Amino acid sequence: MQLFVFICAGLMILTGAIGVIVRSHPVHAALSLILTLFGVAVMYVAQEAQFLAAVQVIVYAGAIVVLFLFVIMLLGVDTAEDLRIEPFKLQRKFAMLVGGGVIGLVTIAAISSRDNLALVKPLPSDAVGSVEIASHDGNIRRLARDLFSDHVLAFELTSVLLVVAVVGTVLLARRAPKSPSETTS
Amino acid sequence: MISSLLAAGGFVSPHVDYHALAPEIVLGGGICLVLLVDLFVSDSRRWILATLSGFVLLGAFLPVVTLGVIGSDVRPMFDGRYVIDNFSLVLKALFLLTGYVVVLLSTNEIQEGGYHKGEYYVMLLSSILGMVMMASSRDLISVFIALEFLSIPAYMMAAWRKRDLKSNEAGVKYYLLGVFASAVMLYGMSLLYGVTGSTKLVEIGKVVTGKGKFGGIEVMGIVFVIVGFAFKVSAVPFHTWAPDTYEGAPTPVTAFLSVASKAAGFVALVLLVYLAFPQAVDVYRPFFWVMAALTMTVGNVVALRQTNIVRLLAYSSISQGGFIMMPLVVAGSTRSAEASLRAIVVYLIIYAATNLGAFAVVIAVSRKTRSGEISSFGGLFSYAPGLTVLMTVFLASLAGIPPFGGWYAKFGVFNAVLSARSGWGYSIAVIGAVNAVIATAYYVTIMREMWMKPALDGDVTPVRVPGSIKAALAITGVATLLLGVLPGLIGHSGITGLAGAFGL
Repeated sequence: MQLFVFICAGLMILTGAIGVIVRSHPVHAALSLILTLFGVAVMYVAQEAQFLAAVQVIVYAGAIVVLFLFVIMLLGVDTAEDLRIEPFKLQRKFAMLVGGGVIGLVTIAAISSRDNLALVKPLPSDAVGSVEIASHDGNIRRLARDLFSDHVLAFELTSVLLVVAVVGTVLLARRAPKSPSETTS
Repeated sequence: MISSLLAAGGFVSPHVDYHALAPEIVLGGGICLVLLVDLFVSDSRRWILATLSGFVLLGAFLPVVTLGVIGSDVRPMFDGRYVIDNFSLVLKALFLLTGYVVVLLSTNEIQEGGYHKGEYYVMLLSSILGMVMMASSRDLISVFIALEFLSIPAYMMAAWRKRDLKSNEAGVKYYLLGVFASAVMLYGMSLLYGVTGSTKLVEIGKVVTGKGKFGGIEVMGIVFVIVGFAFKVSAVPFHTWAPDTYEGAPTPVTAFLSVASKAAGFVALVLLVYLAFPQAVDVYRPFFWVMAALTMTVGNVVALRQTNIVRLLAYSSISQGGFIMMPLVVAGSTRSAEASLRAIVVYLIIYAATNLGAFAVVIAVSRKTRSGEISSFGGLFSYAPGLTVLMTVFLASLAGIPPFGGWYAKFGVFNAVLSARSGWGYSIAVIGAVNAVIATAYYVTIMREMWMKPALDGDVTPVRVPGSIKAALAITGVATLLLGVLPGLIGHSGITGLAGAFGL
């Protein structure tokens, strides 16, 4: 059963990922991305990380891809670029070489240490007993405890980062109020 | 009620050492303060924001000093994921002072350029907060968040001249390549986490050796993480964004990127090499050797052909990055580990003072000439002798000529790589020595232009240097001279205890 779920989810992820780069229509590419993200969510459920799966669907498949689609629609999709034009000769071949090389290396690395991957011990379940993890909200509890004790500083500073990012983006996107010629357009 | 809920959940609130966190808290509060004050001051009084940012940085500097004075004990927090020790204190001081000098440099540029003033300082402060955080991070997650924290505002600062196409290009290139590097690095981090089951650098260091049962995956993880930070420190072949970004960004931002951002990248590399994979010498040593050699050589050779002073300084800063990377080659050898760590930190401090000074002169001169060409420095001595002498000092320091700071930095680096007494160390030292000579050539070109050539178009009206840039020149000039004449100064101020922090 586990294997079956894994294969199905893996196929979803791969099909979606290939779709993102192969489809020339941006809306189709964005929809392929949803497929990939859903596949990842299925993987999370299979690993009993239900909370992560829910967040994955709500935040990524929901909010972020919808945002993508909005942007694509606002920018308009009819100005399709001709992808066959190469600004630099050999650029594409070189990219293929590097991409293929990295895939090959990662595959070799994974295969070479395949037998040992099972040796990795699961996370040390210090204060939280394994009973709690098995319970229905153990995941969330565990996550919250990690977030608000060990990683609380990084967590809090991320909020400042988000504020700063919003401020900067608004400024860069905003038209300057000084030049009246632009405000009319 | 809340406490009973917490008790039911078995939650123990983490120990927070507020004194140790004070610099971060002051900076965080300062960011909000500047953002809010900006709303309530009229356009003509916006200079208040620059002053305010300066005070925020000095306010954050105070606790760093008190922490340094109190003692050299290590203060770990959050299960050892955030640590205040001598290493982090010295670097926090460096980042905060660099930030202060950049505020001084920016004041006039931002005031006259018609940019968004308040938000510029918000971006600057938050980027510095990210760097301050990086110095203390001992965990993959906080290292990553610190990196994003210092990069995201920097992307926007590079594009701050919105109407200038070059500035837009600078921002977009920096952003796209930076994000790509982050993605590569995250992949490497996830591999490391997958192998070790922990995000704490020290615990990763116990497992990762680069050989044995997880060999292949560990090597991929280490390489990807190093590549991610190599982008940040603009090491060749990951430097392609640097010249365009440096040229297009507003000059004070360029100064900031070439000094503070680079220093933060090196801090992260040091943390990773010394804590996360100290045993994987066979993996990172050849990698750093090749990168250091390429970075020095390519940066120098291309710099020789530049006619624009900012681009020249950009390539010069790339090649200086190669020198800073040299000690990492021998960081794994027990003979040279401590010397390498000290050499990197000393180099970062002296390089910050010198390079900021050089940029301060460029900003001061280009306020008059409105040009970035090297020829615009022609005959500078005839109408701005003070600036000429200062620029000569900074260039000589960058070249490593005694008695200025740069020579001591270079001396430390060569001392460290030679003390390893290995082929790797000797060979990189030879390449470094050759490059030091090549670098002198283009620094001398600028000097000759200033001292011997006639003034451009015969225009010899004196350069009017604003007060804030004068202050920046004074700080960086004094630092460059003092660190060269009395290098012991840094030795006494905590760097001696650096290595203790990493248990060497």
